[in-house]
Amino acid sequence: MIEQALQGIRIVDLSMGWAGPLACRQLADMGADVIKVESCERFDWWRSWEATPEWIADDGAEKSVAFNMVNRNKRAITLDLEHPDGRDLLLQLVGTAHAVVENYSGGVLPKLNLGYDVFKVSNPNIILLSMPAFGSTGPWADFRAYGSTVEHSSGLPHLNGLPEDPPTMHHVAYGDAVGGLNGAGALLVALRHQARTGQGQFVDLSQVEGLFPLAAHGIMQYAASQTPWVRRGNDSMIALPHGVYPCQGDDAWIVIQIQNADQWRALQALAAPFLDSIDDPAVVVRSELDARLSDWTRTQPAEPLMQQLQAQRVPAAATRKASELLEDPQLVARGYWQWMERAVVGRQPNPSPPFRVGGDLDAAANEPVGLQSPAPTLGEHNRAVLVDELGISEAEYVRLKRSGVIGTRPTLRGARKGSEGLDKT
Amino acid sequence: MSQALEDIVVVDLSGTVSTTYCAKLFADYGATVVNVEPSAGFPTRGLAPLLDTHGGGSAMHAYLNANKHSVCVDQLSPAALAALLARADLVLHDGTVDQVHAASLTMHISWYGSTGPYAEYVGSDALCFALNGMLRTIGHAEGPPLIPTGYQAQMVGGMTAFIGAMAQVLARTLRTDLAALHFETSIFESMLCFTEVGTIGFYNTGLEGHRMGINRFPPTYPLGVFPCKDGWIGLTVLTPSQWHTFCVLLDMPQFSQVALFQTAVGRLEAADMLEPLIAEKLLTLSAEELFYRAQNAAVPLARVPTMEELFQVDQFVQRQAFAEVEVDGGRKVMAPTIAFRLFSTPPRLGGVVAALGAHTSLYQSEGASSGE
Repeated sequence: MIEQALQGIRIVDLSMGWAGPLACRQLADMGADVIKVESCERFDWWRSWEATPEWIADDGAEKSVAFNMVNRNKRAITLDLEHPDGRDLLLQLVGTAHAVVENYSGGVLPKLNLGYDVFKVSNPNIILLSMPAFGSTGPWADFRAYGSTVEHSSGLPHLNGLPEDPPTMHHVAYGDAVGGLNGAGALLVALRHQARTGQGQFVDLSQVEGLFPLAAHGIMQYAASQTPWVRRGNDSMIALPHGVYPCQGDDAWIVIQIQNADQWRALQALAAPFLDSIDDPAVVVRSELDARLSDWTRTQPAEPLMQQLQAQRVPAAATRKASELLEDPQLVARGYWQWMERAVVGRQPNPSPPFRVGGDLDAAANEPVGLQSPAPTLGEHNRAVLVDELGISEAEYVRLKRSGVIGTRPTLRGARKGSEGLDKT
Repeated sequence: MSQALEDIVVVDLSGTVSTTYCAKLFADYGATVVNVEPSAGFPTRGLAPLLDTHGGGSAMHAYLNANKHSVCVDQLSPAALAALLARADLVLHDGTVDQVHAASLTMHISWYGSTGPYAEYVGSDALCFALNGMLRTIGHAEGPPLIPTGYQAQMVGGMTAFIGAMAQVLARTLRTDLAALHFETSIFESMLCFTEVGTIGFYNTGLEGHRMGINRFPPTYPLGVFPCKDGWIGLTVLTPSQWHTFCVLLDMPQFSQVALFQTAVGRLEAADMLEPLIAEKLLTLSAEELFYRAQNAAVPLARVPTMEELFQVDQFVQRQAFAEVEVDGGRKVMAPTIAFRLFSTPPRLGGVVAALGAHTSLYQSEGASSGE
């Protein structure tokens, strides 16, 4: 079973935001025991970076879609790491774990008197995955970044967009999600080495460098020929017509990419008579070709048009809204969205892990990997982890609660500090 | 020094961007990766960009295939191929080959998955960006949406497959009693990691993101890429204190305490008013200087290097973010190295790309020695 592949492996997740938690989610989805550590003052800034008393009173910390999405299948505790008791308990927890993951700003762990050398004292075989934006070495090691900064620094925006516009971004925190995938990969390689040899190690992930593979077409063009990349909008060197064409309705579009004569003839037949007079699209002025194709696509609703074109093996896809993905026929047919009850927010859709048993060899078994639990609430597993597993006494547990080392409600001071001092990288 | 995956054997039967990138991640950490290629070579051997304008092979293939073995399947006996597949820890394929049953762990990477109404649809990177909901948000408000270039979706699919496959390799190290497993990754589903929050956000709030213009998107403003007098600067100003510092850096203190600008959403609503003012200020500043001044003040601004500048960035040079890859004939070309570094068992940086079939004889004897 894929969901049990990593059973018995424990990860201490100190990360916040998108990248680190997404990395740990990948392992939690496959059965690893991922324990997320926040504090009431310095909670995960993806719960909010602009917390107010009203937000706290309204349980805002539990309503962040972004937070809940990347923290499923995990357990959560709170520890004030600036308090000696909180720090000691973290080190006890590290003593039971295979790996620790962190993506604090550079300098935060040393300020807490924590780090790989400290973790090694508690657990000589521990793995520490550090995920700063620029990596943990080099002159920019301590520089800060969000997912957008990561994208900026990779140069990737220079490959996208129109020549008359600025280099164009992907309009999500692109570097974060890619960083999360790289983080999961890094962790698994280190865990596998640990399983084989018993040895842990420090693992350094540069999230910016994680985007270079996605920019490889531009990087390798320059590396090979010293030819600068020219932004061409939706033009393509290998397909014609190639673009995003308007469809019937408000802001409805379809992508069409014609790469060979068969596809062109199929498109021509479906679009008759709009393209009838064109024998070879390569000899028609691009703007004229796009205009004539648009004249036809404007008369068509995007979804059926995609189906018609794809039925003729013409590369085409409607441009979906994010809101339409819950109803996407492919995702519905494959049971991609799994529904779970979550405290405070109720029944929620959750995306399946993007791998499943079956493939073409065993289509009957082609079920998504089952999800086990929704995202935990702040400090939800304090008792289970600290009392039941680390073995602190009931009296000590109460004392820690009273002193604020642990808790289940955020405090306002940390909302500011959490976003300023412990941001992603 | 040992390498973390030096005892692992991976066979790639398909040579798509996704399978080769997934296999590359294994090879970077020392795994023996065997490309089982048809006589015409893997599709990646013809992939743009090429090493030079007159041919000479694919620069993308060079990036994706350093430190791998190449065997020509037409010159390999069926017994040798069966023996190779039988001893492989992992076999990667795209569903168009039929030899995979012999392997105990296989990963099928396809555009949409092997079931469902899109299973037979033609796939591409652009189509995945359209279907995952990202494409609609990129571009001018009036449209059309702008397609991200290159092989990005396939890279994401390959990375995702690596995670799934690597977890199974790890599980098989921890437990020796695991049954054979044939599993799959859909590139389309891999790409949903970027947009799932928008989908679930809509379910909870009924609010839909829309295309607001080039580099303008939630959750904040200023955010984007702007020209300075010596290059491009990337802005991301999120928190109130970052906004205050940014106003100081750009010498526009009059905006620092404006109530509307204290929140990211408020500034985004006022973007049309703020943008010309910010753009005008930035044109008078050095991107290089502003980057360091901002970072030293804990505001995450960044240079946006062009492809030619990328190779000169001190941070990347010091970290060996690019290394030489040698292709057939001795030509060398710089290529990105792997983004994650295990300090005790470091990855291979750069390497040699095998000519088609260069290792066929090495594996020809496998079937014979195993008696098949």
